[in-house]
Amino acid sequence: MSDYLWDKRGGDPEIERIERTLHVFAQATPPPPLDLRRQPPVRAGVSRVALLIAATLALAVGGAVFTLLERRPTPVWQVTTASGRSTLAIGAWLDTGAGEATVAVADIGTVTMEPGARVRLLDSRAGHHRMELTRGTMHATIWAPPNQFFVETPSTLAVDLGCAYTLTVDEDGGGLVTVLVGWVGFTTGDRESFIPAGFAAVTRPGFGPGTPYSERTSEAYRQALALLDFSPGAGTTPALALVLDQSEERDEVTLWHLLTRVQGPDRDRVFDRLASFVPPPTGVTRDGIRAGDRRMLDAWWDALGLGTTSLWRTWSQQWKDNQPRTRR
Amino acid sequence: MTDIARLVRRAQAGDDDAFGELYQRFARMVHGVVLARIARTEVDDVVQDVFMAAFERLRELREPAAFAGWLAAIARNRAADHGRRLVPVHPVVDTAAPPGTHERLEALAILDAIRSLPEAYSETLVLRLVEGMTGEEIAERTGLTPGSVRVNLHRGMKLLREKLT
Repeated sequence: MSDYLWDKRGGDPEIERIERTLHVFAQATPPPPLDLRRQPPVRAGVSRVALLIAATLALAVGGAVFTLLERRPTPVWQVTTASGRSTLAIGAWLDTGAGEATVAVADIGTVTMEPGARVRLLDSRAGHHRMELTRGTMHATIWAPPNQFFVETPSTLAVDLGCAYTLTVDEDGGGLVTVLVGWVGFTTGDRESFIPAGFAAVTRPGFGPGTPYSERTSEAYRQALALLDFSPGAGTTPALALVLDQSEERDEVTLWHLLTRVQGPDRDRVFDRLASFVPPPTGVTRDGIRAGDRRMLDAWWDALGLGTTSLWRTWSQQWKDNQPRTRR
Repeated sequence: MTDIARLVRRAQAGDDDAFGELYQRFARMVHGVVLARIARTEVDDVVQDVFMAAFERLRELREPAAFAGWLAAIARNRAADHGRRLVPVHPVVDTAAPPGTHERLEALAILDAIRSLPEAYSETLVLRLVEGMTGEEIAERTGLTPGSVRVNLHRGMKLLREKLT
């Protein structure tokens, strides 16, 4: 990579020309005065995230409430609905019915529940907060460090890795997570999926988490992945062919997950497609990947430039320690 | 404790001057994160909203060293929310642009090309190419690792070159 792109040293005529052209859009120096007294704009048709942030702000600016939260010895989950505020006790269920509810998750984030959602608070203590979503849709924004907020669903455990995401559970217990910011981990038994921002993943009872896919992929691509994940042996060859054919560089995450989810010659084909975007680093061999060598898989993951597996493995072990005691 | 962490602690204790200093230091980053996602004419309003939200919620931030990533997340959320309300984004950008020189139209075209890239790349490229931040500054101000920023710059610039040729 050009040094100039990283640290502006050395010069690069093309990049310098782009910089000069784009400078017209840059933040003014100094920036305009900050007006902290103005009201945020409220518009009709505000999105779920807007509701979530507005609810968060409302809690934050409620001085008395905030002070109470600060002084409370144990975490408190405060629920705000159209009819008022209440506190969600450990073990208690929350059904949103026809309305919407915003839940302040102790002091680490907020969750907005859509109408028709049903959740239960399972545990809440410093560094560990766990809820259960049995149906409906929730939007979570968590600003605590990774691995502190867990959501159990009928088919997987969602682990927050520092992010904002939407999680839906349908009537059959299947789930869908869509990540807006950061990462979410899905884990069931030995099967785990890492879902970054801009990606989504489905989960099915009895199978656990599916392969993450970019939200920019086609419907056919997603259907093909679902076939690979949840109908093994049934028409997987054309499904894999479609996935490999339509995969682009952004789909490295998808291909990496597939390395351990297909077998035999199919794994070789995934190997070749992933290698066309990110060559396997030194020490990573076809034979090793065929054999499912964890160290080689981790090394290849590291080469994607998305973070090191040492962190994932540490968290993964903690997830395993935190697996639900009962699994439907 | 870093300089930024000290400012965060002071701001959490009610020191408005300290928050003002944080604003001065992070305004470019927030501006770039928002500009990568929404219409140019809406950016300044959203940047103000981001800092207002941060000001109101600052006491909830337990770890001052996490301020950069925390603020960047607020900016991304605000921009994403705002962007959804203003769909489609690109026509808004183009029609809102005042008629101007060839250079201005070219700038809009390049900005549009950057925005069409995956989010991680477009955000990093806007911070680098529009806001003029170095890779290290981007990492410091967004809470991303230098390695991630380097990858995003490298891959994003490669894709941008392909789009511009």
